[in-house]
Amino acid sequence: MKILVAVKQVAALDEDFEIRADGKDVEEDFLLYDLNEWDDFSLEEAMKIKESSDAEVEVVVVSVGPDRVDESLRKCLAKGADRAIRVWDDSIEGSDAITIGRILAAVAKKEAPDMVFAGVQSSDQSYASTGISTAAYLNWPHAAVVADLQYKPGANKAIIRRELEGGMLQEVEINCPAVLTIQLGINKPRYASLRGIKQAAAKPIEEVSLADIGLSAGDVGADSSMSRVRRMYIPAKGRAQMIEGTLAEQAAKIIQIINEFKGA
Amino acid sequence: MLALKTAKYLVDKAVEAGDIYSAAAVYLIANIEQRVVLEGIMFGKRRDALALARWEHTPADVLNTLCLRGAGDAAVAVRLDRNQNTPEAALARLYDVELNGNASFAVLIAQHQHTPNKVLEAIAKFSDDIQSLKAVSKNPTANVRVLSLLISRMRNSKMEEVIVGNVAANPSTSDDLLATIYEKGDTRIRVVVLAHENCPLFLIESAMNNLASETTEIQRQLAKNQRLNIDALSYLSVSQDKVVRSGVATNMASSDVIIKQLLSDESHLVRRALAARADLSAASAKRLMLDKDHWVRQWLARNPKVSRKVLDKFSTDPHADVRRAVARNEHCSRRLLSVLAKDENAWVRSAVAYQKNATRCLLEALANDTDVDVLCGVANNSRTPQWILQKLITSPEADIRRAVILNRKAQRKTLLPLLEDSYYLHRLLLVSSTALKDNDKWALCDDPDFQVRFAAFQYFAKSL
Repeated sequence: MKILVAVKQVAALDEDFEIRADGKDVEEDFLLYDLNEWDDFSLEEAMKIKESSDAEVEVVVVSVGPDRVDESLRKCLAKGADRAIRVWDDSIEGSDAITIGRILAAVAKKEAPDMVFAGVQSSDQSYASTGISTAAYLNWPHAAVVADLQYKPGANKAIIRRELEGGMLQEVEINCPAVLTIQLGINKPRYASLRGIKQAAAKPIEEVSLADIGLSAGDVGADSSMSRVRRMYIPAKGRAQMIEGTLAEQAAKIIQIINEFKGA
Repeated sequence: MLALKTAKYLVDKAVEAGDIYSAAAVYLIANIEQRVVLEGIMFGKRRDALALARWEHTPADVLNTLCLRGAGDAAVAVRLDRNQNTPEAALARLYDVELNGNASFAVLIAQHQHTPNKVLEAIAKFSDDIQSLKAVSKNPTANVRVLSLLISRMRNSKMEEVIVGNVAANPSTSDDLLATIYEKGDTRIRVVVLAHENCPLFLIESAMNNLASETTEIQRQLAKNQRLNIDALSYLSVSQDKVVRSGVATNMASSDVIIKQLLSDESHLVRRALAARADLSAASAKRLMLDKDHWVRQWLARNPKVSRKVLDKFSTDPHADVRRAVARNEHCSRRLLSVLAKDENAWVRSAVAYQKNATRCLLEALANDTDVDVLCGVANNSRTPQWILQKLITSPEADIRRAVILNRKAQRKTLLPLLEDSYYLHRLLLVSSTALKDNDKWALCDDPDFQVRFAAFQYFAKSL
C-alpha cells in the first residue's frame, strides 16, 4: 500500500523586500524558504495511517522544484517518509498550479499510489488548485479541505469530513484511490527526532526528469500554462493620514479636509 | 576533549560547519585572520548578510562589522536600524550614511535604544521630520539635555503638546524638567507628570493641598501615590469615583482607619484591591471572607497574610479559581494541599503540583494524574523525586518534558536523554543547564537546528 504526499517548498517574505528586475516576483534574497504548513499536516496524516496499520504502508513525498527543495524533502524524510522524489527541469520554471498538477499526476501514474494527499493550498501562492488539478489529470475522485479522515489501507472507500463555511462539516464517502487536500488542524504534526534527521541526511532523494515521467518541455512552463504572472507590485498607499496637533488643531484640520472634499 | 576547546579550536569548528549562525557565535573570540574567513561565510552572499542583519540574536560585534561592510546596501541598513542588538557605533555610522536619505531610516535610529545621545541630539536639533522628533521624545535612553532641547525647539509649534506629553512620560526626564512641564501643562500632562518616578515632592504636595479643586483624573493618580499624607488619603477615600477609592485601597500609605472604612465599599474594584494588600489584618480578612465577588475571595485566598482558618474555609469554596488560589498560597498547609490534590478541577490539582510545599508523597500521587497541567506542575516541582522526572521525560507532551528541563533540581542523569529531544527549543534550553557538563553539550554544536548550534557555540565561546 502506498500514499503519495505532494509537498511544496514555500517562500515567506522578509519584512522589507525588493521586486525582481523583471517585475514578476520578489528578489530571491528576500525570500525565506520552508515546507508549506498544510503539507506538514498531509504528511502527518499519511504517517498516522502508516503507523496504525498492520499492513505495510509506504509514504512517498514528491515535490516539484530546484535543488533547494531537497531541504524540505529531507524534513519529510526525517519525520518518517520512506522515500522522496523531486521533479525538476529548467523548462518547468513559470508553470502555473494546473501544470504542476499535471507533473504530479504523471508522478502518481508512475508510482501507482493508493491515495494522494496534498495541502489545501500553499501559503505563498494560495491558488488551492494543485491537488485538485492532480486529481483531474488522474481522473480520480477528489475531496478538498479535509478536516478528518477515516481510512484503512487497502479499503476501496474512505470516510472524510470536509470543512465548510460557518463551522459546518460535510461527511463524505469517497471511492479510492482518491486525491485529498488536507486542512490545517486535522492532526498535530510531529517534530522530527534527531535520529530521524541524521538518518534523513543519508537517505537519497530521487531526482526525476520530465522524460522519466513521460512528459516533455513542451508540456510544462509558462507557455503551456493556462495562466501567467504579468507583474507583481505593491499597490500605492497614501489614502490614510494621521492628524496631529492639539484637539482644536485636529478639529480644524478635519473641517478643512471635509471642506476640500466638498469643494468648499 | 575540553582541553582542546581553545578559541582557535572553536572557531575552526565553526568555520568547518560553514554556517552563518555558528560563525556569528564565535566571531568575538576569533583572531584577525579567522575573522576574515568568518566574514566570508557570514556576508559572502547578500541573502546571508540580510538574514544576520535582521536576526534578533546576532551579536553586536557582528552587526558592527556588517555595518562597516554593508551600510551602503539600503536593505541591510534598514535591518541594522531595526535590530535591537545594533551597537552605538554602528548606529552613529548609519546616521551619518543615511543623513540625507530616507526619513523612515531616521525614525528607526531615533527610536533605537542604543543610539548615542549625540545622534539623538543632532536629530532633536536639526531634523524636520516629525516622526523622528516624536521617536526621540519617547526614547528612554535620551538624556535630559536632548529632551530639554526638543521641548525648546517645539515650543509654540503644533507638535508641542504631543512632544511635551511624550517627554513627561519619558523615564529619563528630570525633576526640574517635569516641574517646568507641569507648570504649563493641561490636566492630561499633569497626570503623566504626577505618575512619573522623578516627580518632585513639591508638585505632589501642591496638588495634595488643592485636592478639592483637582480633576478626577489627577485625583486618581494621586490616590496611588505613597507620598500622600493621611489627610489627603482620607479625603480621597470618600471620593464619588470608585477608581480614586480603589487607588487609596491599593496605597500602602493608607491608614488602618481608612482601610477599615473601605472594607464595606460598594465597588468590588475597591474590595479586590484591599484583598490583595500585603499588610491585610486578620480582622479585615475576616470581613472580606464572605464577599460575594469571587475575585475578592480569590485575591484573599492568594494573600500570604491570611490565616490558615481563612484558607480552610476557601478550600471548599464553590468557585474553582478560589480553591486554586488557596493551593497557590505560599502558606497553604500540607494537610490542605492533600485535600486539594484530590479536587475535581484539574486546574486546582495543577496548583498543588506546582506548590513548593507539596510533599514528595503528594507529588508521587499526582504523577499518576492524566492531566497535562498537573503533570507539568509535578515535572517542574523541585521536590519531585528524580525517578518520577525520568518517567516524565518520556511523555509525548512537549510541555511536560520542558517542565522537567526547567526544574532547578533536575539532575544530569535525568536531563541527558533530553539532549536528543525532538523539539529544538528543549535542546536550546539545555545549552545553559548547570546540571549538564560541557562534554554533554558539545554535540549540540552539530545540532540540526541553527538556533541550537548558535547557542552552543556562543556558550562555549563565552566559557573560554
